[in-house]
Amino acid sequence: MEKFFHFVSQTGFSNIEVSSLVMLVIGLFLLYLGIAKKYEPLLLVPIGFGILLVNFPLSPLMVQPENGQPGGLLYYLYMGIELGIYPPLIFMGVGALTDFSPLISNPKTLLLGAAAQIGIFGTFLSMLMLGFTDLEAASIGIIGGADGPTAIYLSSQMAPHLLGAVSVAAYSYMALVPIIQPPIMRLLTTKDERRIVMEELRETTRRERILFPVIGILVTGLFLPESLPLLGMLMLGNLFRECGVVDRLSKAAQNELNNIVVIFLGLTVGAKCTASHFLTFETILILVFGLVAFAIGTATGVLMGKVMCKATGGKVNPLIGAAGVSAVPMSARVCQAVGQKENPSNFLLMFAMGPNVGGVIGSAIAAGIFLAVL
Amino acid sequence: MKGVEAILHYDGFTMAVLGILTVFAALLVLAVIISQLHNAVTLWENKKLYLGKLRRLFSPPEEPEPMPEVQYFDDLNESARQFKLLINNMGEPFSLPELIQKAETVGIAHAHSTISHLIVSNLIVPDKNGYYRLNHEAYKRLS
Repeated sequence: MEKFFHFVSQTGFSNIEVSSLVMLVIGLFLLYLGIAKKYEPLLLVPIGFGILLVNFPLSPLMVQPENGQPGGLLYYLYMGIELGIYPPLIFMGVGALTDFSPLISNPKTLLLGAAAQIGIFGTFLSMLMLGFTDLEAASIGIIGGADGPTAIYLSSQMAPHLLGAVSVAAYSYMALVPIIQPPIMRLLTTKDERRIVMEELRETTRRERILFPVIGILVTGLFLPESLPLLGMLMLGNLFRECGVVDRLSKAAQNELNNIVVIFLGLTVGAKCTASHFLTFETILILVFGLVAFAIGTATGVLMGKVMCKATGGKVNPLIGAAGVSAVPMSARVCQAVGQKENPSNFLLMFAMGPNVGGVIGSAIAAGIFLAVL
Repeated sequence: MKGVEAILHYDGFTMAVLGILTVFAALLVLAVIISQLHNAVTLWENKKLYLGKLRRLFSPPEEPEPMPEVQYFDDLNESARQFKLLINNMGEPFSLPELIQKAETVGIAHAHSTISHLIVSNLIVPDKNGYYRLNHEAYKRLS
């Protein structure tokens, strides 16, 4: 009988707490968003499941090694985030998957990617005002870059206790780009501006595409060595893709390696969302101000687009500025959709890919600045 | 600590301005370099041409070497005789491409330039219908 009671005391039923139940509901909700609504399913599904796994009472998955006993599976997998391994590997996959041609043929759109990073620094100041430390404020502000791996990388290095909330916020807003961005884009542009048809992009040569990652890393690496783990891997992945002599490596970076890392990253980010870390007032602030950061980034991108439109005599459609917030390629698709609503014969997708990948570089540089200075 | 006091404590304004400026500076430099990338690639791909131009720019103009007079033929009579045999074989009037093809088939060297010279020398003349004939009188004078 004693053994029976001991067994009962070891079940989840006798150890369940309200906070754990709430986290289980949140995990299930993220699974619902990923599966039923198809919002960033590649990440929300493993994150949601990770939340479930660590929030069961007495869950051994995140247990640290103790008294010679090994730790939990997710504890070891989490080392990949703690040591800053997964986000750069994801960046390598992104580089191998990304065609930088629209950016190479229209390099001024990089400035749209730069403008969209203003939201990061605006939110950084807001979070300082609300009483967060500078490291925490930077981790929250980076959500405005709408770049999941960058947000995870920075918060894992600066404020690991906020990692769960920051990454859930970052990926949620990336998934909600089609809902968040269009009202801001419409608010800041006139109908005529949204109708602007841009000149066709010139074709880039293979040599240009090979030189881009090399020059890109030389410039950004010299400006900010702290951003090398992210940008170095991004450019390496792109070099794999473009050089044409390492197809196997390029395919591995795009598929096998990327998929494996996405699984580990998603699961372990979810595993960081324990009730004690997640169910706090700070999380609500992070979710709210993450949205603010994202909205400011969208707005400043569009405003920079308007400046470019005026400067070029109406040759740039300001809508593409909204794609400067990264969220590749979702925000570029949103630009295309909003532009096509006003002018059905307008195709902005390729033009928006320029600021889109520029935003990826810009947010990685912003993360590098925080890492270097704070 | 909250409010502006917190920002000042953490030097937040400096950080924000520094951050924005650095992002813009890095991406601006990158944009400028990329915008010139295709020019650099074109320069590299045509380096011989541009190096030649550069060399001419810095070296004094050289006196053009006198061009040797081009001798198409050692012997116009012999060329005319060879082509007369071919033309007799083909029949008149004849088309120039056909004559060139025949000449190349039988192994006459520099068929194009030889025929051109025969035309200039009035040994082969156009018949105004797009074909050509041998000028028998000129040929007789030649021999």
